[in-house]
Amino acid sequence: MHTLTEFWKRYRLGPLLLILFVLFLFLLPLPRWLAPERKLVSNSLLFSLTQLFMLVTLASDWNMTGGFTGYVDFGHAVFFGIGAYGTGVMMAKAGWPFVPALVVGAVAAAVFAVLIGSATLRLKGPYFSIAMLGTFVAMREIVRVLRPITGGGSGLTLPPYLNRPLFYYVTLILAVLVVAFVWWLRRTQFGATLVAIREDEVGAEMRGINTTLHKITIFWIAAFFTGIVGALWAYQNTFIDPDVVFFESRTIELVMMTMLGGLGTVAGPVIGVTVIYWLRDVLWSNFLQFHLLVEGVLLIVIVLFFPEGIMGLLHDPSATSLGRLWGRYLGGGPKDAYQSTETETSV
Amino acid sequence: MNPFALPTREEATPPAPHPEGAPLLEGRNVTKFFGGLAALSGVDFALYPNEIMGLIGPNGSGKTTLFDCLTRVQHVSAGEIYFKGANITDYKPYQVAHLGLARTFQVIRVYKKLTVWENMLLSRQWGGLPMRKKFHAPPVETEDRARDLVSFLLLDRVMDEQAGNLSGGQQRLLEIGMALMPDPDLILLDEATSGVNPTLIEEIKDRIRTLNAQYGKAFLLVEHNIHFISDLCSRVFVLNYGQKLAEGSPDEIMENEDVIEAYFGADGGDDDDW
Repeated sequence: MHTLTEFWKRYRLGPLLLILFVLFLFLLPLPRWLAPERKLVSNSLLFSLTQLFMLVTLASDWNMTGGFTGYVDFGHAVFFGIGAYGTGVMMAKAGWPFVPALVVGAVAAAVFAVLIGSATLRLKGPYFSIAMLGTFVAMREIVRVLRPITGGGSGLTLPPYLNRPLFYYVTLILAVLVVAFVWWLRRTQFGATLVAIREDEVGAEMRGINTTLHKITIFWIAAFFTGIVGALWAYQNTFIDPDVVFFESRTIELVMMTMLGGLGTVAGPVIGVTVIYWLRDVLWSNFLQFHLLVEGVLLIVIVLFFPEGIMGLLHDPSATSLGRLWGRYLGGGPKDAYQSTETETSV
Repeated sequence: MNPFALPTREEATPPAPHPEGAPLLEGRNVTKFFGGLAALSGVDFALYPNEIMGLIGPNGSGKTTLFDCLTRVQHVSAGEIYFKGANITDYKPYQVAHLGLARTFQVIRVYKKLTVWENMLLSRQWGGLPMRKKFHAPPVETEDRARDLVSFLLLDRVMDEQAGNLSGGQQRLLEIGMALMPDPDLILLDEATSGVNPTLIEEIKDRIRTLNAQYGKAFLLVEHNIHFISDLCSRVFVLNYGQKLAEGSPDEIMENEDVIEAYFGADGGDDDDW
């Protein structure tokens, strides 16, 4: 086991496998053009993977504030909604093409993040979470009321564009870019200050870190990327209304996926999204009535038994209840069964 | 060569006090209420450049509250605070830190899930650093300073260890190292010897002497350990019930009837009780 870990690290198998996997994803749609008659890659597969890439981006965005900075945002989907409606309004009402409309949606989300973050990021813990949830609900009602602009409850219809491979590639590139950005961010001084804020905000402030400025900066960066996903989602869906766009469960899903993977880690959201997305597919197809119940139970199990998620379990199993149970099952006792060599909590 | 190399004990004797000239840190009529409770009532206080000053008082006398007010962690209810001649009463804590005032805390505040090395780098001088430069790795000079301080504080062997895994004494040393990272002019140490073994206390003393004698750092020490205070400080300020009770040299304070009564009651105590 120990030798395998050394071998894995020595030959940098992790990054190598990751690059190969991303390359595979880039090449995946090629049979559609090389051998169209064999129908190896269906539209539904591409659509499903496009949704997955969007969720990876959204969870990584949420992780920037919720995971690194420790500000658990229960209203993060408001930026998704602003991105979707910003783009939708510009396309459906002003007749703009998609790309400039997307820029408007993403910038609107970032500007809104600066405005609302300047107030809410001064709150701590559950007060911040509830303030953001309130912001999310208020924005949905505003969109519903502003009928002349947003179409109100009747929604907006965008010009249809059904090029599945294009959406696939755009969302894949966006997901890779955002995950790479988070990886790089964690290695910068700014990224380290976010972790310091999570660990001890008063201490960080007393050591010269302008915590409010840093929180607002990461908040608008995360909102900008979330706004882009909202814009892409709106264009792909071709129809948006307040209930579909401002859907409470969207943020809860992101929280659950990131927690399952590992809060404050780079790989955590990617792993969490992939596992839950796959699990949901299985549950929907086999236990339609119970899928929400199972998801709820899963969230409770994560919080109780491995709050540091799958990444925490991989790094130091003895630090989690589940790992200790497994250690006892193996018979070596928690510390004997697992001797972690890792000291970092973040990847 | 380590710029923080320790001098001999003879070289590191505390310098003479500097009660003349402009104070480095000054509190005028500092008052702090928590609801109806006056934690500090009209405290006038001054600390001079290159001075090591002690702040003592019985439990609940307002020492830590005064620390918090001086470093802007708490807002004052009334009064003014000056540091290097600037009125910092309305400054935010990070602005005070940028000016050159650093502190440690009564309850240790290190980033427990980060390594000793990361803790040190995160405590660099952030003042005047533009946001774009924060998106880079720390410069070589910052890393060199962190390395020297870690070595100076005898923490080199645990540099890659998570701070939360260190002993209480090592965490205290780390906190002092973090306070020194931005090269401050004044360091406020809140119960730096609490939970630290006697050998390590001597090490901390030596390092405070060195920093004061060789690098001109001023210190304000909150302590219950009166021997630590009397060994290091040229002047001691005593608080009781949020008010100034006495001020003077350690010998004067140890013989002051009011101070003895505040600590031991009307019967007084033996010298060994300190």
